[in-house]
Amino acid sequence: MSNQNKPDVKIRRFPKAFVWAHAINGIAFFALYFTALPMYTEFFDWLYPVFGGPEGARLLHRIFAVIFITPTLILAIFSPKFLVMWIKELITWKKRDIAFFGNFVKELFGFKFCHVKQTFFNAGEKINSILQMFCAILVIASGFTMWLPQFFPRALVQWGYVLHNIGFGLGIAVIVGHVYLSVIHKHSRPGWSGVVTGKVPAWWAKGHYADWYDEEVKQGNFPDLDDPKFKKEA
Amino acid sequence: MTNHWNDLQHTDCALIIGANPAENHVISFRWLTKARENGGKIISVDPRFTRTSSQADVYASLRSGTDIPFVGGMIKYALDNNLIHKEYVANYTNASFIVKEGYEFKDGLFSGYDEAKRSYDKTKWALESNPDGTPVKDMTLEHPRSVFQLMKKHYSRYDVDTVTAVTGTPKEDYLNVCKTFCATGKAGKSGTIMYAMGATQHTVGSQNVRIYAILQLLLGNIGIPGGGINAMRGESNVQGSTDFGLLYDNLTGYLASPKATVPEHATLAGYLAKETPVSGYWSNKPKFVVSLLKAWYGSNATKDNEFGYHFLPKGNKNYSHINLFKTMYDGGLDGAFFFGTNPVVGGPNAGKEKEALGKLKWLVAIDLWETESSAFWQKAAGSNPADIKTEVFLLPASASFEKEGSISNSSRWMQYRWKAIDSRGEARPDLDIIHELATKLKKLYAGSSKSADKPFLALDWNYGTGDVPDIDLVAKEINGYDLTTGKLLPGFGALKDDGTTSSGNWIYSGFYPEEGKNKSKNRDNKDTGGHHYLNWSFAWPMNRRIIYNRASADANGNPWSKEKAVIWWDSLQNKWVGNDVPDFKADTAPAAPGGTGAFMMNKDGVALLFAPTLNDGPFPEHYEPYESPMPNAFSSQEINPAITLFEGDFNKRGFKSDYPIVATTYRVSEHWQSGTMTRNQEWLSELAGHMFVEISEELAKEKGIKNKDKIVVTSARGEIEAYAMVTKRYKPFKVRGKQVHQIGMPWHFGFKGYATGATANRLTPHIGDANTMIPEYKAFLCDVRRA
Amino acid sequence: MTKYMKYVDVTKCDGCRACMVACKNWNDLPADPQDFQGSVQSHPKVSADTWNVMQYIEHENGKGDLEYLFRHSACFHCTDAACEKVCPENAISYTKYGTVVIDHDKCVGCGYCVQNCPFEVISLKEYVDKNGDKYRKSQKCTMCTDRLEEGLQPACVTTCHTGSLEFGEETAMLKKAEQRVQEIKGRFPNAQVYNPQGVGGTHTIYVLAEKPSVYGLPENPKVPTSAVVWKDYAQPIGKMMLGATTMALVGAFVTNNIISRKNKDQDGGQGHE
Repeated sequence: MSNQNKPDVKIRRFPKAFVWAHAINGIAFFALYFTALPMYTEFFDWLYPVFGGPEGARLLHRIFAVIFITPTLILAIFSPKFLVMWIKELITWKKRDIAFFGNFVKELFGFKFCHVKQTFFNAGEKINSILQMFCAILVIASGFTMWLPQFFPRALVQWGYVLHNIGFGLGIAVIVGHVYLSVIHKHSRPGWSGVVTGKVPAWWAKGHYADWYDEEVKQGNFPDLDDPKFKKEA
Repeated sequence: MTNHWNDLQHTDCALIIGANPAENHVISFRWLTKARENGGKIISVDPRFTRTSSQADVYASLRSGTDIPFVGGMIKYALDNNLIHKEYVANYTNASFIVKEGYEFKDGLFSGYDEAKRSYDKTKWALESNPDGTPVKDMTLEHPRSVFQLMKKHYSRYDVDTVTAVTGTPKEDYLNVCKTFCATGKAGKSGTIMYAMGATQHTVGSQNVRIYAILQLLLGNIGIPGGGINAMRGESNVQGSTDFGLLYDNLTGYLASPKATVPEHATLAGYLAKETPVSGYWSNKPKFVVSLLKAWYGSNATKDNEFGYHFLPKGNKNYSHINLFKTMYDGGLDGAFFFGTNPVVGGPNAGKEKEALGKLKWLVAIDLWETESSAFWQKAAGSNPADIKTEVFLLPASASFEKEGSISNSSRWMQYRWKAIDSRGEARPDLDIIHELATKLKKLYAGSSKSADKPFLALDWNYGTGDVPDIDLVAKEINGYDLTTGKLLPGFGALKDDGTTSSGNWIYSGFYPEEGKNKSKNRDNKDTGGHHYLNWSFAWPMNRRIIYNRASADANGNPWSKEKAVIWWDSLQNKWVGNDVPDFKADTAPAAPGGTGAFMMNKDGVALLFAPTLNDGPFPEHYEPYESPMPNAFSSQEINPAITLFEGDFNKRGFKSDYPIVATTYRVSEHWQSGTMTRNQEWLSELAGHMFVEISEELAKEKGIKNKDKIVVTSARGEIEAYAMVTKRYKPFKVRGKQVHQIGMPWHFGFKGYATGATANRLTPHIGDANTMIPEYKAFLCDVRRA
Repeated sequence: MTKYMKYVDVTKCDGCRACMVACKNWNDLPADPQDFQGSVQSHPKVSADTWNVMQYIEHENGKGDLEYLFRHSACFHCTDAACEKVCPENAISYTKYGTVVIDHDKCVGCGYCVQNCPFEVISLKEYVDKNGDKYRKSQKCTMCTDRLEEGLQPACVTTCHTGSLEFGEETAMLKKAEQRVQEIKGRFPNAQVYNPQGVGGTHTIYVLAEKPSVYGLPENPKVPTSAVVWKDYAQPIGKMMLGATTMALVGAFVTNNIISRKNKDQDGGQGHE
């Protein structure tokens, strides 16, 4: 397949702060995942020497735990608008969001589907965001009780272990899907470059997030792909 | 102990007074726990509710220093309620003896008191005797001058109300104690009295123990299983130390040191005549003394030189601890050897004892560690090293595990121990150090013709050649030899007074009766009957486990009861048999002369309810401690009239106006005496790591003290800072209508080792008992404030 | 296999603390000095270097009488041990004697056991290896399992001189405890056997003179619900979910490829990329 018949106009989908935040978040997540793995199951005990023993793994886990918390701050400081928009998106649910899922499954498994018009985030991404945030909050909050048990009631610490486990279990499941869709699934690949560079092909954006794209066009931020100018160029 | 540790399991009631064995003589509770399982009761009498009290069926508090009223009241209770063992009392005590006319007791004083000398003329307490020297008796015990009637009269003043008003004991608790313990007066029942330093460390310490003995005799509790009066010794070998002449006025085996102040002591014959009673086993004393002289001076002891009697020093002073330190303080001593002693922590009025050390020219300290005493010159001790001229030598000593030898426990068991590990560095056993010192000094003095050097040169020092003595030779010398045959003696019965036998300590004679048979090495843990384990170690005298066991049988030689039988007369075999070695001549029939003399060591073979031998009276009488919060309720004599007073700077006295609180000192399980051996041990130091003072919640409230606060305790002699341990286990006493507070503190601490803290003995007075000079550590006055 | 128990009769204990020293001695534990505790008690509770602690409690009973109570406190060796359940490294295990032991080769010092022990008797300690690197291990009483293996009794039991501590077969010890409670009911009306069933019973059982709470013990300890939710539900489900998701995606990848190959043939690449 070729992109040659598509306009290669790129538009900025994500602010730089998000790109950084996302990257940090992703790296930290996996670092946390791997440094925790040998404790999660003995199958991965061979990882201990890699990290410098349990102490090294614990230290790394804690370092990345701190790093894991920073993306929210980065966004809040450098791109508060985006953060607010994101949150708004997450709490706005309409019919089309529901309609998305049927088509998502089809798309996922490669069947024929059609795009239900979506705003900045499609319903799937919203679910992803919500689940990720939920898990992150669980994991971060329970992480504190585990790290500093002396400052918390014993029951909280004990439940912390469970919540950390649930948060992480759920989180990894979601992440696997998230990564698959963005990295491996053919239709989402531009999404990958999107979070790396912040820019995506305009046509892809329009196709996946029609409402958002159209809104941005109205505001004059994005080129109108329906403009013949682009078609000519194509 | 008249009995022994294992025997405690046979008791029907243990009266624990002046002791806290659950904390300080812990092993006793192994046996007391068994006694309880068999239905025995435990009574704990203590100013403080201790761990012993927690294990007791009955607890009664008493103000420190009021044992005599407490037990005096029990005597009255037993007499009033007819709970005594009358047959026992009539036969085995001097209750029936008649006291000579002229004896009287008035307002706290016995007849014969000389106020200027603060001493009694004991001849005023004599007993009537028949022309043949035997005592005049009234077996009905009704004679008004019989010991029994005089005793009854004496203790008639100790009624429950007066007693409890003085001791501060709640009346109900007191009566409970009386009832519970006096129930052991029945045949078939036994009660033991267990005591320790809480009894003895008083100005009336000897009489405290005496009054326990009187009560036990009245109840028929001496000589039977689960009975006796049992002194729990504070060190593993303090029994052995006193047996071997540690006491300042003893040679060995409780033979009195000759004194220059006793005219009769000028010659051996005079000494023996003066010190030897006409009857009882002590009538053999000349054999013990001469054999001892032969052991010490060997061939230098001959009939012609009174067996070397004149080599013995004959002092003209009292050489007790307090007196020694007074002399030292006054600059009267040049030097001192400290073998494992630490008076800067353990001595009374320790601040003054520390100052006294600075008056010495030299001090040799032999110990496992540098103690507060050998470090008395250091800054940490509060001294200015530049000002101290004393030259201190510290010789490292071996610990018990690093050497071979024996110790004698409270049960009088001489138990041999073998070396477990080598000493570290240059540390050496005490015996080696003394041996080398003696042999080197002998060389230095060799050839001297000075009379002062003669005793030292005359010493028979034959424990092998070289620097290390042959300890087996020492052991054999203690047992003694037949000097004619060169063979070891079978026991002290074989000792002679003609110089043909030797024995370094007559009471131990028989422990090594043959070559290769050192009985202190016996380790057969099979019960030979009555839990006496006769083949485990050797108990002096002659392996007897319950002394005075003749008293377990009646006058006819039958046991008072099956339950409490020890020995009995077997008329078929014509000898005493049983599960213990008879503390009696084995073949003396009950009907034979002396056949009922159950207390065979004493003149006339009886126990002394009336003891005309003590310095402060034939009957124990209550006097308040040297420092007391209240006047004496029993007489106008405030303090023991026969104690020696030390005045001036050496011993400042406090009064209740400045120091209203009673204080006492004690020990904790984890620390040993002045703490040298335990405060240098990390595991023990972590368990008891802080100097504390126990105070009642009521006193804490009064003084605004909270638990764990730092507080200051002051006495006339000094002040210390420590942690407050506010506890429900101390309660204020109601004493003669007034509230009196008491506090207590451990005395183990000093500035050396892992566990450091203030020294309690900075507070205690330089005052001692009228007979033994043991310091009054257990009752003094103080005040308390927040630091 | 016969299980064993340490029997602790607190009413026979005189508080001598020989058990504490014997424990340190046998297990070669360093001293762990504490600040003054306000009583003769040396340590507030057991710790990594102090596996048993003698408790001293001044308690006024129902009649207003003062009781001075002692308790030898150490690991209970639960039949259902929360520590064993939560240990992520399987470092904690049951022995054939019924004791619960920590394998220090496996222990990574995470402290989950510390936080989940219903009796709070496990502690973490930081050590330094010969390279100067720090590492942590959980520590607690082993019931001297190393001694049991040699046919000896626990060090604390061997040293106890009043018979307050005994070690023996489970059934015998339980019977002894029941009997002892009957014997002492007169003196201690609240006396009871403490062998909490919430943790399946313990292998250190107590004859207590008073209610457990007087000794600071939980009246009804159990394996924390959180630990059950965590280990019996959350973790298996989590692992399952991870598996399920992965499977779904593998499935997606495969079907995608198959279908898109078909589609390519049919549509000539009309899809999105």
